[in-house]
Amino acid sequence: MARAFKNTRRGLVASLEATERQLLRGLFQDVITLLEPERTADEDPLWAMVGMDPNAHHEDFAPPTDRATKRLLPDADPDDAGASLEFRRLSERGIREKKIGALREAALLMESSSLLLSTETAPRFAAALNDVRLVLAERLGLESDQDAERIHAQDDWSKAETVDEYLALVYNFVTWLQESLMQAMLKSL
Amino acid sequence: MTAMPDVLEHVEQAQAHELDQPYLLIIWNDPVNLMSYVSYVFRSYFGYSESKAEKLMMQVHQEGRSVVATGNREKIEADVSAMHGFGLWATLTKGDSA
Repeated sequence: MARAFKNTRRGLVASLEATERQLLRGLFQDVITLLEPERTADEDPLWAMVGMDPNAHHEDFAPPTDRATKRLLPDADPDDAGASLEFRRLSERGIREKKIGALREAALLMESSSLLLSTETAPRFAAALNDVRLVLAERLGLESDQDAERIHAQDDWSKAETVDEYLALVYNFVTWLQESLMQAMLKSL
Repeated sequence: MTAMPDVLEHVEQAQAHELDQPYLLIIWNDPVNLMSYVSYVFRSYFGYSESKAEKLMMQVHQEGRSVVATGNREKIEADVSAMHGFGLWATLTKGDSA
């Protein structure tokens, strides 16, 4: 069983079982795959350095079509599609890169059984867990507080038979881990 | 040195214009986002006190949305970008249309 985060002199510490680390690493990698922008072979590396997307100025540049990706990258101005698209042209690539950076770091942290987070790493790990939860929630159709309660009520791994029941249990585990991290982070603010 | 008065005049005009129409940063309720996480982001990113962060977070939770910051377009766009980085559901709108 995983042990919740606690504050120590070295930083925020938790411990995870090998299967839990493997599960989380897979989830972090799934979200990285969702967020990775398509790169063309002849892309100028300068675009990546400044966090801008060379495709953003093409006429067919559009918001993400995948619902989970859209939940990670929502419209900035829902009343103005043009302004939202302009915001995406300028910011979306940078936000994707930032998220991918945090998710890669989180996946690397899964290599070790004891999880030690510095004050710099902790917010990025929290954001990576949050992105995983947003994607799982979209797959589970979690849109209201009632949906959240229904999913939260599932807590028996031995009874999980469908993919959705299994995903709900995974979601609850990641929620528990993020909540334990937030309590420790709030204490050290 | 002689350029200074001109430059300052332009800055003041720009600021006055932006104050007429400040932009609002709105955070929307998402059943996924933990109350503790939302509070943490409000405190760490905006530097809000614990009580202010809690009050804004409860407003998001109970009323479905809250205006969390105001400012010129550039500032609020940067805030929206940062909030999306954290995974919060953030949008911007002009002050007079909210």
